[in-house]
Amino acid sequence: MAPVDAAVLAISRPPGVDLSVRIVRERSRSLAVLRGVVQPDTVAEDAGAMVCAWWGHGVGYAATADLSREGLQAAADRAIEWARQVDRHGLFDGLALPRPTARAVVRGETVQRPLAARRDLIEQLREEAAALRRDPRIVHWASTVQLSRVSQLQFFNAELVSDESFSYVVPNLEATAASEGRSQTRTLGGQYNGFCMQGGDEVIDLSGLRGGGARIGREALELLDAPNCPSGRRSLLLAPDQMLLQIHESIGHPLELDRILGDERNFAGTSFVSLDMFGRYQYGSTLLNVSFDPTPAGEFASYGVDDEGAPAARVPLIERGVLQRPLGSALSAARATAAGFPVASTANARASGWHRPPIDRMANINIEPGESSMDRMIRDTEHGVLMRTNVSWSIDDSRNKFQFGCEWGQLIENGELGAVVRNPNYRGVSATFWRSLAAVGSADEQQWLGTPYCGKGEPGQVVRVGHAAPPCLFHDVDVFGAEQ
Amino acid sequence: MSTLRHPDLQARFCDAMLAVQQAARPGETTTGWLSAEVSDFVRFNRGRVRQAGTVAKASIELRLIHHGRQASFTQTLSGLAADDRLRIAAAFDELRHIVGDSEPDPHLAVSEVSVCRSTRLSSRLPDPAEVCDVVCSAAGDADLVGFYAGGPLACGFASSLGHSMWHEALPWFLDYCICAGGDKAVKVTFAEPEWRPEAVAESIARARREALLLLRPAKVLAPGDYRAWLNPAALADLVGMMNWGGFSASALMSGHSPLARLKTDSDRFHERVCVCDDLAGAGVPQFQSDGFERPGRLDLIDGGRFAAALVSPRSAREFSLPDTGATAHEVAQALSLAGGDLADDDAMAALGTGVAVSNFWYLNWSDRAAGRLTGMTRFASLWVENGEPVAPLSVMRFDDSLFRLLGTQLEALGRSVHRIPDTQTYDSRSFGLTSAPGALLAGLNLTL
Repeated sequence: MAPVDAAVLAISRPPGVDLSVRIVRERSRSLAVLRGVVQPDTVAEDAGAMVCAWWGHGVGYAATADLSREGLQAAADRAIEWARQVDRHGLFDGLALPRPTARAVVRGETVQRPLAARRDLIEQLREEAAALRRDPRIVHWASTVQLSRVSQLQFFNAELVSDESFSYVVPNLEATAASEGRSQTRTLGGQYNGFCMQGGDEVIDLSGLRGGGARIGREALELLDAPNCPSGRRSLLLAPDQMLLQIHESIGHPLELDRILGDERNFAGTSFVSLDMFGRYQYGSTLLNVSFDPTPAGEFASYGVDDEGAPAARVPLIERGVLQRPLGSALSAARATAAGFPVASTANARASGWHRPPIDRMANINIEPGESSMDRMIRDTEHGVLMRTNVSWSIDDSRNKFQFGCEWGQLIENGELGAVVRNPNYRGVSATFWRSLAAVGSADEQQWLGTPYCGKGEPGQVVRVGHAAPPCLFHDVDVFGAEQ
Repeated sequence: MSTLRHPDLQARFCDAMLAVQQAARPGETTTGWLSAEVSDFVRFNRGRVRQAGTVAKASIELRLIHHGRQASFTQTLSGLAADDRLRIAAAFDELRHIVGDSEPDPHLAVSEVSVCRSTRLSSRLPDPAEVCDVVCSAAGDADLVGFYAGGPLACGFASSLGHSMWHEALPWFLDYCICAGGDKAVKVTFAEPEWRPEAVAESIARARREALLLLRPAKVLAPGDYRAWLNPAALADLVGMMNWGGFSASALMSGHSPLARLKTDSDRFHERVCVCDDLAGAGVPQFQSDGFERPGRLDLIDGGRFAAALVSPRSAREFSLPDTGATAHEVAQALSLAGGDLADDDAMAALGTGVAVSNFWYLNWSDRAAGRLTGMTRFASLWVENGEPVAPLSVMRFDDSLFRLLGTQLEALGRSVHRIPDTQTYDSRSFGLTSAPGALLAGLNLTL
């Protein structure tokens, strides 16, 4: 038995108290070649425990990096004190608070091929960095890879809930071209690392990093010389690396049940979705099918058990355009049910690390593939624009009025892909935008993407989320260019 | 004593800092940048406690420099002296292997001038139980949603060159809303040097009174240009966007700064716009993770024109610039916009008819290189007619140029400069704050 396991088993608790312990260990490494210079390696190692206590109608928590028997006991004692406070002042009077239900779930890393040695990775990054800058107008160029390995152990009243390990790989290339007061940036996976998966060396291959430097550099220069995106209402064809953001902001966040219950109104915001909409609200056109799916091996936010000990499973959220289920943990679902709106939970209580308590989050939120294709959607478009790779995002606190911008735009006229345009933006309203969904690409063109940086919560938490989507076509969208 | 209660972080981690100083072997330089906090966090919803707990976290970014090569290792510390010494020693051992496999770093920067300083700011923190009692009692039947964060917060730097720097404080804030239905709310960020329960209760009572106006039917505006008064919190949001690469030397040199036009003097703000990084005034640490001291105040924009960039020692070497002691990310930690001559009490009369924006939300660049940004109005933003607030505003999106808003459209700045604490708690709490007055704009371009 590992010492920390023994320390967990030794925690004492008074009668009437339940305790969970979640121990997270993370080791990460960043490698980068920035503007021609190999950057110093950065390694990080983090380990600690989150202890949650249930007492009466209260839950409290305490987090510590002191994993000794005394340290964990002190955290448990503190969590119990908080549970008593919450019971006295809490929201949950009369509510049977859910407890972890999974037991002894063991899940390993999903690595198909081990990562190359550091020296080899650096050499590959150096090659791509050189390929990014084949023109002096490229003023910034970078090739990077972020690697993280995480293990998480969960216990409930000294019983093992889960033992899971994860390997995350986030490769990217970036080039910025500048001339005459104008600059344009093109990336492989978005400026905020939209290409991110669990796995090993195969993720770097899938990303297109190897051999991708020349294309990214060339496209940055093309954007620099391109005209501004025109304004007006057009059809909009979104590539998967913009769909990820569209899903994230205007489906994922509005369906988070804690937002609907009001927990986030002081910070991340509320939702235009209300508890009475589930099972009947027409969220999008009949082509829209969306799932919460933390199960695919390799997708960025796959896991076996959520951070409150609920077993993870795929759940349809929107079927044929009709809203079916929220993204709610067992606790949030119990609260909604107590409020007169019975909903099932989705095992999405997640925390950014050992030092944060779980809250309702997205995991993988995916658009189910349709039957169209990028080529067919272009052929079927009379007057439109193709946008690739998110660069700007803004949405109101109810997750309704949005404005998003992309790195790359390309006009579509009479079924043909035409000129490249820079600074493509579009705006709309979530409640109506998805109803303009006119075609969905097939599984062949679906990409598994995501973001390592989804922010929410008080205290703040940044978690990894995944989004798989094919390209999608929308009609009659307000598109526009930029200032200059 | 429990690591979750001990308020003296300097005592807890002095051994770790010593271990960094003693770790270097001949020819090596070792440094450590330590961040530590013990934080009580309480979330409120509907005037009750939603989630509460304590987090004790400390980590140290260790750096090993040898023959012009370097690498860093960030290690979480347990707070147990003997255990932390072992962790630090193991991390330096691993760094020796990494550095041995690395190549020289042409931009390596570490302060060769050893400095010893210690700042410990005292204040009175509440007992967490008292926070719950006071807030829930003052909220009464109001729909209060919010967040309390407080506890000791520290950072320090030590090196084998003799540096020993420490900054510790006991900050707290209560960031809350009194909700009036839907997305309408009075938002307050309350922080004082001393916790005074009567002041907290008074703040909540005032917000409850102000929320009554938000019960009126919301005014729905058509897109267009509107006169606007930006409350200090809203203007702080705009000024804060300048900090997203605006002053960064690296961003300016690599085509990523939204203030590139200001830097090249091809565009200017109104001459009343003066912005500085006021570390001394904000009680923010005046040293950074390479061991360099930072100026207590650095003028960034003066008279509407670019005054100085934030240049980290690393950028200074890469771009051959004089460094300004900036942090590695080259962000200001205490942005301060100077006030003007419009009394806050006269703001509505000066506005006449237009929008009074209490807060912006989710700002982002719609054209970064041109300084054009978009965002939403939020919380208690109001429609004002003839100097009288008459209705809450149905949320609106704006998309406008920073150079227009703080240039041609800027009519006046408020006389009172408000201190708005940085409430971000991603990964850890923060020392920073933003100081800003309100601003009267002739036009704000609302688009959706």
